[in-house]
Amino acid sequence: MTETRTLIVPDSRRRRAYRSHGAPGRRVGWLHIVLVPLAVLWLIPIIMVVGLSLMPPNNPTTQFFGMFPQEFSIRNYLTIWEQNPILLHLLNSLLITVPSVVLVCLLGSMAAFALARLRVPLKALIFGILILALILPMSSIVVATFRILQSMQLYNNILGLVLVYTALGLPFAVIIIRTSYLAIPLETYEAARLDGANAWQIFWRIYLPLGKPALAVVAVWQTMMSWNDFLLPLVTLGDNELKPLTLVPLAYRGMYLSQPGALFAILVLISVPVVLLFIFIQKYLVNGLSGAIK
Amino acid sequence: MKILTRERLVGLAFLAPTLILFAVFVVYPIVYNVQASTLDWDGVNAGTFVGAGNYGELFQDPTFLITLRNSAFWIVLTIIPQALIGFLLAVALNQGLRGSTIYRAIFFIPAILSPVVVGIVWQRILDPFNGVLTSLGKAAGLEFLGGNYLTDPKTAIFAVIFVNVWMWTGFSMLFYLAGLQLIEPSLVEAARIDGANGFQTMVRITFPLLKTTTLSLVLLGIIGSLKTFELVYVLTQGGPNHASEMLPTFAFLEAFQLQNVGYASTISVVLLVIAVVSSLSMVRVFGAGFITGDEK
Repeated sequence: MTETRTLIVPDSRRRRAYRSHGAPGRRVGWLHIVLVPLAVLWLIPIIMVVGLSLMPPNNPTTQFFGMFPQEFSIRNYLTIWEQNPILLHLLNSLLITVPSVVLVCLLGSMAAFALARLRVPLKALIFGILILALILPMSSIVVATFRILQSMQLYNNILGLVLVYTALGLPFAVIIIRTSYLAIPLETYEAARLDGANAWQIFWRIYLPLGKPALAVVAVWQTMMSWNDFLLPLVTLGDNELKPLTLVPLAYRGMYLSQPGALFAILVLISVPVVLLFIFIQKYLVNGLSGAIK
Repeated sequence: MKILTRERLVGLAFLAPTLILFAVFVVYPIVYNVQASTLDWDGVNAGTFVGAGNYGELFQDPTFLITLRNSAFWIVLTIIPQALIGFLLAVALNQGLRGSTIYRAIFFIPAILSPVVVGIVWQRILDPFNGVLTSLGKAAGLEFLGGNYLTDPKTAIFAVIFVNVWMWTGFSMLFYLAGLQLIEPSLVEAARIDGANGFQTMVRITFPLLKTTTLSLVLLGIIGSLKTFELVYVLTQGGPNHASEMLPTFAFLEAFQLQNVGYASTISVVLLVIAVVSSLSMVRVFGAGFITGDEK
């Protein structure tokens, strides 16, 4: 029952329940004494990435134990702009990520709806394949995938990557979304059926919109997977002009040995979009997850 | 009967795109791997059938034993600290503390970064010549901080595991935070009224109530450990001399650097079997509820 509650209780009430853990009168402020130093420690590597990206090429001296450059300059960002077609790599990353996120959300919701509410033959087998796909390591299928994409004429093609990421992202999506669909009372489905709605209408008008919190989780997860991955593009893309941002530091590693600042500027560029997405979506994330797990 | 068949067709139509993608990119690669694992094959010329020969060779390969040992280290040394720190952070951030959202974001951000980013910055931190730890160690008189952690065969795998824990603890925290939303506040209040202090409530009430969350994290942790490729590849490439090799990096090395596609497929098959067996045994022991969301 609990998961039903979290999904249908209005936001304001849920927030109050959340707050009530720290009821007034109980002082929790001392936690800051532990959390602030821990958070600072946790952030050091991230601050370092940003700090070193601002290191001027002609003065690679650092301060604060090598965490920050002595002087700051945005020269590196101009350098990487001039040396590589950065916009093109950024566009490639987007062309890989956005379609795979959309496909995973849509196809995953459809499959989840079928498994939660429709009659489906061989359900156990389908679940078996789902779990198999969930635990399948990408590196162990990479050789076979390479061959398959070649025979489908999708080698050296961004569409091939989109399809593989979609396939590998679907199991997680189906499991998370299905759980949130199961929490929607069955009466909703039956009532809509009695009103003459067909399966697609019920899915599109009722389940898909109600599954939004779970979709937030899936979208973040899928973005992380397809934006951050470098193994598959490393193996299935030959042309430099098709490569996503994550391959830039690896592809030009030698070049960046002498320009650490430029390398870190690229790392910043790789990270900014996912961090921004996370910040926009983070308030849905905890609620989405708690609707999705039990 | 006819209605039932039509209904089933509708169900299948909803599932069709997913099933087609699975057939092409999940089922077929597995079949392909199993088939290739019986060949002595460089991936280009025709292979020769060697039956179970690759498997025999693999089980005697010292590198294979290293990868098994490393996977065991990885599973234990990531799951336990991540669950522990993640749980404590989640409980702390669930108290209505001012700035909880900011803390939550800070601890989760490493998990959303690319392993390329994480790997390169940690290489810089752990660099024994002018890395952050070395400089800190010198300044504080703690010379041991300046060790060659990534290039010393004795410590390489632990250094990678350490970075991995930093990266993924926020993920465990978020899972526990989500789980905490589902706990009835009245249960915690009842414990308080009965005289339990904060620590007792946390250990005796909150943690046991989050059992399914913990189980999901353990399962994801085992699978994640077995799947680990990126971080190892960027930080150490499995070296020095295979000391931090994991099964996926080992398979990648054999397939793409040594052109032993048959042998690499064998490694992949063994990896998959280990992953399936460990997941199935967890499902067997604890029920599938924590994966499928069904009542047990």
